[in-house]
This record gives sequence, structure tokens and C-alpha cells, in this order.
Amino acid sequence: MSEEKKSVSVTGAGVITGGSYSRVSISGAGKIVGDVYAENLTMSGAGRVSGHCEVVLLTVSGTGTFDKDVIADEMKVSGVAKVNGQVKVKELKCSGTFKAAESISSEYVKVSGMLHVSGDVEAEIFRASGGFDVGGLLSADRIEIHPGGRCRAQEIGGAKIDIRRYGSRERAGLLDSLLRALSSSWGGDVEAALIEGDEIYLENTRADVVRGKQIQIGPDCKIGLIEYSESLKIHDDSEVQKQNKI
Amino acid sequence: MEDEHLISKKDVLEKMGISYGQLYRWKRKGLIPEVWFIRRSTFTGQETFFPEDKIVERIERIKNMKGEHALDDLADVISEHVNAKIQIAFGKLKHLGWFDEDLGKAAGIVIVENEDGTLSLRDALRLAVLKKLRRSARSEEIDLASRTLDGVIGKEDIDPSVVDGKTLYLLRKQLSGGGISAEISVIIISGGEIIVDPELRRIDSVDLAGMLQQVKLDLAACCAPGQTTKKSSVNQEEGRNEHE
Repeated sequence: MSEEKKSVSVTGAGVITGGSYSRVSISGAGKIVGDVYAENLTMSGAGRVSGHCEVVLLTVSGTGTFDKDVIADEMKVSGVAKVNGQVKVKELKCSGTFKAAESISSEYVKVSGMLHVSGDVEAEIFRASGGFDVGGLLSADRIEIHPGGRCRAQEIGGAKIDIRRYGSRERAGLLDSLLRALSSSWGGDVEAALIEGDEIYLENTRADVVRGKQIQIGPDCKIGLIEYSESLKIHDDSEVQKQNKI
Repeated sequence: MEDEHLISKKDVLEKMGISYGQLYRWKRKGLIPEVWFIRRSTFTGQETFFPEDKIVERIERIKNMKGEHALDDLADVISEHVNAKIQIAFGKLKHLGWFDEDLGKAAGIVIVENEDGTLSLRDALRLAVLKKLRRSARSEEIDLASRTLDGVIGKEDIDPSVVDGKTLYLLRKQLSGGGISAEISVIIISGGEIIVDPELRRIDSVDLAGMLQQVKLDLAACCAPGQTTKKSSVNQEEGRNEHE
């Protein structure tokens, strides 16, 4: 009567041919040959997809390698994932390690692990408490970074950019100050050639050029040039070589 | 290519009265083509420049669209020439995430397979929706969705209001009894929230209005400036379509 959509799972070692599935689960070592379409794809062992991968929910808690594009509503990486094509998702949560050889486009990105992207990252909201390395432009409406490792991007651009250490708030509580004291030893910093935005707040950041409307430079920054159009405040513990009001 | 007059990014913002946030947002939406971002080294370091005439005209067009419907309206402008059966290089069409030749054939969408493909907006939307469903739907469900969509978007060019706020749902229900077990598939297109019986499982859903906008932007990116059709260029400024 009707072609039933099958679920498939690999627990030992196996090869699956591409196609449409309901659920695909790889907990051993598995390879999917060809394009795969599924509601749910879970890789808790070692998995590889040789074709395009289009799913609703993609979870990688083991290692996952995707040779072509990945399209998903939700992608969760708590293990190690590598995508050699484009990544187009609605929500990306990375608490493990994620390497993208091209670009990532997602409405929401949350990084608490490590994200490596050779191209650009485009999002509406980008939040990072881990580390990242973006070879191109990191662009989002709201960018919030609590550097938890080395955070590097060629360019960072958006409406609101907020980079600060853990526990760094205007009125810090006890826990906040404790976290802050700790984070100065294990926290990371942010490095970019260019940072552009309308409202910018920076801490622990090194940048060649920062441009924006309202810029506030918190502690521990090293900036080559700041160009601002409305306001600029610079913390005493930061170094700014040159500033221009434009 | 002849030398065009360039304008720096900060001068564009000042001249047009827009924010960095807006510029980056439009770039992400594909409203400002990547090739217009020209990076040059200056005495203050790296700066981005744009071809002045093009960027000013484009931003004015984007700004003239009112409020939150800005993107929809821009997409409408773009869709004018999409509806006029624009010829899109077949190779470019192939690069669109939702373009799928086999799926198109199965749904009876005819794409001319020569150097240039023609695709109407209506078929493009249908194709994009089906492509999205493909990840979860069986082939007969895709066919069912295709026929259901026909009832909404009709045979004519689309008026965007027909899909406004509408979502397509794919539901399944398991029936069993007398030793026979079967599953029925249901496609619903609704403008509001749907409440269904607990035995119906929601398998997938596609936001039609959102998809339409995406498709328009994708097509617009395909026939990026300099490749706009005669129709829309003639409406706005004459004799500017002698490119290459």
C-alpha cells in the first residue's frame, strides 16, 4: 500500500545506503553512502555521511563526519563533528568540537565547546562561552561572548556586540567576583582584525580596528584604532592607540 | 570592468543614515551581494568599500520599503521579474538549497533543461516546500502535499497574501484492528494553530510565508543586479541593462 519509512541503526560496524529514513542511529562505526534524509540522525559512535545530509534533528555525541552540506532544524554537537560542506541550520548548539570547512548559517548559535569555521558564521544570535576560530566574518544581530578559550575571528560585525569575562557585570555579586577572579586565570580572550557594530562593549579583546556608534572599552583590551560616531568610554586598564570621532 | 566610484562603509552609513546592524543584516539576507564588499588597505588599516552608485540605489530601495514588511516588499519587487519567467542559468538554479530536479519532475514541475532554466515563483515555492518535506515524508505524502498546495497557491502567479501566516503540517495516525495495521497520512494547511486528536502524530511542518520569502530572496540572489530582467529595469531606470 505504501512505502514505509524505515528506521535504521548501526551498533556494530556497517554501511547504510542513503535515502529517506525515519530515524538513523549510529552507535558503532557506520557510514552512510549517498544523500540522507531523516527526521532524526544520531551519531553516538563514529559515523560518516558521504552525501548531503538533511534532517530535522541532528545529534553528534560521538564523532561525525559529513562530506557535503548539512541542513537541519537543530544540530547538537557534544562530541566531535566535522562538516566539509555548508552548514545551514536553525539552531546550532556546540558543547563539543565542531569544524566546518565552509560557512555556517544558523538563526541561533551557542558555543560552549570549540568551533572552527574556515568561512563565515551568520546568525541572528551568537552566544559563546567556549572558544572559536572563524576564518571569515562572524556576523549576527546580537553577539555575546564570554571567552572561555581562544576566540578569534577575522571580522566581527553586527548590531550589538558584547564581549566580557564571566561574572563581569555592573553590580557584581560575591559569586560573580569569585568567578571573575578565577576567570582571569582560565578565561580566554578575543582577537579580531575588525569589530564593527552599533553598540559595542569589549573586555579582554585585541583588535586592530573597532568601529561603531556607542563604544565602551572595558578592562584588558588592546585596540589599534577606534572610530566612533556617538560615544566612547575607555577603561584605564586598556590600551587604545588612536581614536577618531567620525 | 571599468573603474567605479567607491565609497567606504562608514561613509555609506553616514550618507544613508543606517546602522551597522542593518547593513550586516541585509548582507546576511542576501540583499547586498557579497561582490560589492570590496576590501582595501588604507592608512588606517583594512576598510570595506562599495561601488557607490549601486549601494546607494540598493539601500534606498531597501529603505523605501515600510517598516517590518520591508523584506517582503523588497521580495515583491524582486518577484515581479520572477513572475515574468526570468531565465535563470540552470547551473545557478542547481546551487539553490531547495532545487531538486528529480523532485521537480515527480511533482510535474517542468524546468527547461537547456543552458537557462525557467521557473515560475509558484513552482519554486512548491519545490522548496516539497524539498523540505522530503526529509521526513514518504513519496506518496510528498505527492499529497503537492496536490494540497495546488489548492492554495493555484495555477496562477502567487499573491503573497494567500500564504500569509499559513503553515503546512504533515500528520500521521496509526490504525490497527482485526490483525491489520495501517497508517494514514494527513496534510493540513492552516492559518492558525491546529489542535488535533492525540493519536495524530505531527511529523513535520513548513511555514509557507517564510518559505516564500526565502525562495524570493534566493531567486533574487540568482538574478543579482546587472542581471535583472528587462521588465523591472525598464520600470525604474532606462537603458541600464547593458551589462557585460
